[in-house]
Amino acid sequence: MSEAQTVSVLLEDRLITLTRAVGLIRRRHLPVNSLAIGPTATPGISRLTIMMQSDNATAERAAQHLQQMIGVRAAITFPSLNGVARELALVKVRASADRYVELLDVVQLYNAVVIDDAIDGLIVELTGSEAFVLSCIRALERFDVVEVARSGTVALATANNLQTETVT
Amino acid sequence: MTESLTGSQILCRALIEEGVDTLFGYPGGAIMPFYHALPEFPGLRHVLVRHEQAAAHAADGYARASGKAGVCVATSGPGATNLVTGLATAHMDNTPVVAITGQVARAMMGRDAFQETDIIGITQPITKHSRLIEDVDEIEDAVREAFHVAQEGRPGPVLLDIPKDVQNQRVSGSAGERVSDSTLGRSSRAAAVPPSRCPAGSFEEAARLIATAERPLIMAGHGVLLSGAYAELRVLAERTGIPVITTLLGISGFPEAHPLHLGMPGMHGEVHVNRAIQQSDLIIGLGLRFDDRVTGNLAGFARGSKLIHVERDPSEIGKNVPVAVALVGDVREVLCAMLPLVETRHCNEWRREIAGFVRPRDESFRADLSPQAILDAIGESTEGLCTIVSDVGQHQMWVAKLFRYQQPNSHITSGGLGTMGFAVPAAMGVALARPGEPVWAISGDGGFQMNMQEIATMVQEEIPVKMAVFNNGYLGMVRQWQQFFHGRRYSATPIWSPNYVKLAEAYGIAGYRVESLDQLESAVAAAVAEPGPALVEFMIEQEANVFPMIPPGGSLSEPIEGEAATPMVPA
Repeated sequence: MSEAQTVSVLLEDRLITLTRAVGLIRRRHLPVNSLAIGPTATPGISRLTIMMQSDNATAERAAQHLQQMIGVRAAITFPSLNGVARELALVKVRASADRYVELLDVVQLYNAVVIDDAIDGLIVELTGSEAFVLSCIRALERFDVVEVARSGTVALATANNLQTETVT
Repeated sequence: MTESLTGSQILCRALIEEGVDTLFGYPGGAIMPFYHALPEFPGLRHVLVRHEQAAAHAADGYARASGKAGVCVATSGPGATNLVTGLATAHMDNTPVVAITGQVARAMMGRDAFQETDIIGITQPITKHSRLIEDVDEIEDAVREAFHVAQEGRPGPVLLDIPKDVQNQRVSGSAGERVSDSTLGRSSRAAAVPPSRCPAGSFEEAARLIATAERPLIMAGHGVLLSGAYAELRVLAERTGIPVITTLLGISGFPEAHPLHLGMPGMHGEVHVNRAIQQSDLIIGLGLRFDDRVTGNLAGFARGSKLIHVERDPSEIGKNVPVAVALVGDVREVLCAMLPLVETRHCNEWRREIAGFVRPRDESFRADLSPQAILDAIGESTEGLCTIVSDVGQHQMWVAKLFRYQQPNSHITSGGLGTMGFAVPAAMGVALARPGEPVWAISGDGGFQMNMQEIATMVQEEIPVKMAVFNNGYLGMVRQWQQFFHGRRYSATPIWSPNYVKLAEAYGIAGYRVESLDQLESAVAAAVAEPGPALVEFMIEQEANVFPMIPPGGSLSEPIEGEAATPMVPA
């Protein structure tokens, strides 16, 4: 059954390793929704978070393929229900003077934060689940959305799937 | 030791430490420092090929025949890109090959320098691992890591790209203080690959299925050869009486003359083999990946059968066929652990049933010079003890199905990638790995012309490969598909050949043409008697077909068994 799956990969912090991991995803035709990479608590190790829409077996096989790659320290998969996931988005949005207050109301409704305020537009920061971020962007689209930058989803498995970042 | 070594000298020393004795390569600008150092190391025999693709295939053949990594060397740019087909071939068939490529100097990299190419990027999907060596201090570890990675677990090719200035670089005084990141790589590798992941009770469950199945089959793949599980496979078969199917790359993993040997499955598998698969209720899959050429249409594959899958790569489990029991690990190790639990039984009734599936084969060969007769003559001339290296196409299927393999690992072919031009260069590697043993490279007239320049290498290096060319004037397998699925439109498949006897003469080797049965034995005997390489051309039936054949996308239950069944596709 197709559902949202997270594949979480700990890999060496080198461009060639990232290239290989992403190349594998393309080569194996994995149904990827988003990719996010960033450092972990261990120097030299990054975490690549892959969100995909698939059955358990496909996600599990993706993790196994990644696991075999030189430079990959660990790869696990878990259904989204067994983890927490967040995404960050920056939205540059413009509103005419007569709708400026209405825009601020929407921002407030979504617990978003205005981090830059220019004369005819704002940059709004949103954080939440992918669904939340999408919903908020939709709400902002009632105004003039100029640019959107999204981080891709990062996720961690909840207690039972804990993996260590420690290099053994 | 006070004198400091160059990167090239360190590289040569590291290769010797890894047990390397033979390299296949071709020099060029960016690899010249390595070739400058090479004569200082007489333990490394260098074989100068005529095209880098042949170096990769020869290293592949050397590895398949010897069980240890084969090594090929090329310069940057075109030298490196010419390796690509050979590396892809080794990657698909899990052969341990270490490729060493020169790269432009570090200061030039990324600036589109002369003969610069991103070979790491190009080969990324067709190597198990690759590494750009950015400093002389990395070389030793990188070589050790490359050989380890190439040979451990599921083997595969590894590429080391070494900039020219690193090859010339001398070891710095502080070499020992550097943090070696390959140590990192190795430990991560060890952590990443669990040794054997067989959950408790899975051996018992497998043994129970083997004891209770009514129509069990063993399907033996390349993993049997890679792990050397010949004896264990034989014990399993003989104790249980379960018939053994060998896939294209599993051929010679089980003696062909054995009463339990059934044959090859799949697209060109025998009807009784495929029918046995379809009727089976248990398949014990040993070291194979259920390739589409083996299974045909997956939806119709062995629907009533359970699968015990013994495979060292966990990502292969359930990839194509659902499994009842997965035993992840080296085939030989898994069989050793499982055999004590396997009870004695027989499958007499089931074997009788399979015997009833056997159908006379319609090969449409010209009576007097059939592939069977040619292969019998080659077999007899070498008392069946030679290694056969085949190319890709119709002859490959005949060689797979009609030669009686007696020795373990005596059939070598490009299975997964299906690389035409493989046989001749790969046979050079096989011959060097097995000195004194007869090696035949069998090709079609198409594949032979792809790498026939390597005859020169054989002459210069005194490599006594016997070459057989099955000449039918067509790219036969493609022509056969055109006949069956493209309304006999023979587009671009007729192929002209030079006079191979004169070609042999030009290279200074013996050449023979066999046009009829009465010339067969003497020509093969004369070729075998030659101390050096020899070439025999066999003029075979032009439009012979390989039967049976599962049409593409068809299930194993729908074979085309002969000319009469030729479906005509409207043009």
